[in-house]
Amino acid sequence: MSQHDRTHHARIATGKGDPQCFAGTAGGPSKFKVGDRVRIKDMPDIFYTRCQVYTRGAVGEVAVVTHESPAPEDEAWGHVDKSEWFYIVRFKQTDLWPEYPAAFAKDTLQTEFSERWLEAV
Amino acid sequence: MSHDHDHDHGHNASAPMVDEISDFEALEIAVREICIEKGLFSAEDHRKFTEFAEHIGPTPAARMVAKAWLDPEYKKLVLTDAIAASKDVGVDYLNPTGFGTPSDYTDLRVLEDTPTVHHVVVCTLCSCYPRPILGFQPEWYRTPNYRRRIVRWPRQVLAEFGLTLPAEVDVRVEDSNQKCRFIVMPVRPAGTEGWTEDQLTEIVTRDCLIGVALPKPGVTSNLELPVHRAAKPAHH
Amino acid sequence: MPVPENMHAPAEMAECAANWTPVPLLEEIKEHGRVWGDLADQYGVTNPDPPWKTSLDGMCEVLASGSCSSMAAAEKRWLAGDVVREAMDAPLPLLERRWEEDELSATLYQDVPFPERQLLALTHSLIKRGLVDPDVLKTKMKEVHERLTAT
Repeated sequence: MSQHDRTHHARIATGKGDPQCFAGTAGGPSKFKVGDRVRIKDMPDIFYTRCQVYTRGAVGEVAVVTHESPAPEDEAWGHVDKSEWFYIVRFKQTDLWPEYPAAFAKDTLQTEFSERWLEAV
Repeated sequence: MSHDHDHDHGHNASAPMVDEISDFEALEIAVREICIEKGLFSAEDHRKFTEFAEHIGPTPAARMVAKAWLDPEYKKLVLTDAIAASKDVGVDYLNPTGFGTPSDYTDLRVLEDTPTVHHVVVCTLCSCYPRPILGFQPEWYRTPNYRRRIVRWPRQVLAEFGLTLPAEVDVRVEDSNQKCRFIVMPVRPAGTEGWTEDQLTEIVTRDCLIGVALPKPGVTSNLELPVHRAAKPAHH
Repeated sequence: MPVPENMHAPAEMAECAANWTPVPLLEEIKEHGRVWGDLADQYGVTNPDPPWKTSLDGMCEVLASGSCSSMAAAEKRWLAGDVVREAMDAPLPLLERRWEEDELSATLYQDVPFPERQLLALTHSLIKRGLVDPDVLKTKMKEVHERLTAT
């Protein structure tokens, strides 16, 4: 990724860390809170995303409101002027994989999303 | 592409991996599983020897877990601000670069196991890993085999590591796909009453911190094993 | 570490020297299996070893002993020139494996790069001892391949 400007990252994150350097830049409080039920939107990801295909359309519960940061879909191209809240969402495995054994119905999986991927259920 | 840094911002995020199961890879697994089925060794014993083969000593993350087991106040800090808690075990995420290295991201989260919930960590997208506190990823953590299957068949994959969890323990897979990094804090095992921090640190092996093994008294990451030298060494 | 003068394979091992019968399944893997060097080049990977290498090392170790202390004791005796077979009740004692690996690396598998030939040699040793059946192995490999590529 030679075209990516790493000195920019170092400049904004020095002394604070990343994502801490983006604290307070999402333009307000988080839209969702711990315990909220959310559905993962199935949006196109033509260029770059870190939102896994296996979660698209699934419904889960917000487990942690983690931090503010530019979404990877923007940050990958150097756009860091707009941030979003990030959430760790907990899914029941049986909601992600139809063949997941019913004997282990309480098994779960957690993964993280930026706010744009979530809608209230 | 750089290999000293697990998560670039570009769209080609991770170091490349071989996305193909070769006959040799299948052969290694098949021979191993036949031996296990025949009772020549257990999957867990094999995992221990493999961990040893990867030369993993106690990590700062192991000490963090051991300290948290002993000190409820420190445990609170570990669970709410793991970056701050890291300093107590000699890891400053902002040094030496000032912005976090070798993994750029500095949101460390500790997943606390309970008697009924067991966590296991993966990065399905590449191989995100809390390197400042846990060192380099083991090779298997980077394989498509682990990354693809642990999210979908976690109990099967854990059993391949020799960890069979009873049905009353729920498995929680953590897919580390953004800027958070994770380690697992296992339940302190029975038989460690009265142990010192150093003793406890030794049994929290790397695999326990990823969640593919559980700590046990007597099982440490720095076993004394002899070096076997070939009479006629094969040249590499 | 200096190699003691008396370090040599016991007589009963040496007798097997001419017994390296090719195993058809392993010959097929030798001919058609893609070695790490090729795969690494194709995918642009720079790791010197395939991901299964440490697992293979772990398997060799665990086959050599159920306990580390007995392995250390066995090696100490061996280095002292005292090769005691009964002390080695492991499925595949380390001295035998290393000796066979060396022999096979110089004969049947001399054209196979390392560590693929280490894996072929280990498998060969296990087949030779009746610990692994080639037909079972063939079926198992197919099953493993299907499991690892399941979608």
